[in-house]
Amino acid sequence: MRVVAESTMGGEDVRDYEVVYIFDTQLAEERITEKLERYHELITGGGGEITATDNWGRRQLAYPIRKQTAGHFVIVQFRSAVDGLPEFERLLKLDEELLRFLIVLNEGLPTAPMSIATREPSREDGGDDEEDDE
Amino acid sequence: MTIRRAAKNCPLCEQGIRQLNYKDEKTLSRMMTEQGKILPRRMTGMCARHQRQLGTAVKRARYLALVPYVRRYVD
Repeated sequence: MRVVAESTMGGEDVRDYEVVYIFDTQLAEERITEKLERYHELITGGGGEITATDNWGRRQLAYPIRKQTAGHFVIVQFRSAVDGLPEFERLLKLDEELLRFLIVLNEGLPTAPMSIATREPSREDGGDDEEDDE
Repeated sequence: MTIRRAAKNCPLCEQGIRQLNYKDEKTLSRMMTEQGKILPRRMTGMCARHQRQLGTAVKRARYLALVPYVRRYVD
């Protein structure tokens, strides 16, 4: 067993993540922005970066969470070193006004609740959709 | 092989969808029963990969209260 973990020079393990926040709807928009900034400082401070943010706003919950029937949803995609995550998660757990959160690896999914049914090909005049890359 | 199946049967593959999004509750609920159960493969007709994704996606969506764990049966 190693006594001191060797710092991984250069070979930092960096991944793309996606986090879904569900805030209490009582919170004002500014308070939420403030909170997000505070959370994300931890990511950006550790050399990570925020790649996408999507504010869904108020949404009905399928079942009550802490007696709330609605929540304010915010989706954020970011890139961060793996070691930064436990601390980030700890911070989120401590927040009482955050009803729930989910951190998953981002596999290139869009942030919007885009329905496959409503998904349209970007142009329909082309005919075949194989050669969309430009 | 000389004899080939007409086409892939998986409805998602046919639509060219690679990944099921757990945030897309509309699509997910089409693959669930009224009560909130995940439909079996014989009902969805999906390939193994997409059916696996469905399981993960539904479970994530449930946690986020986008779809219910159970919906009471009302008649």
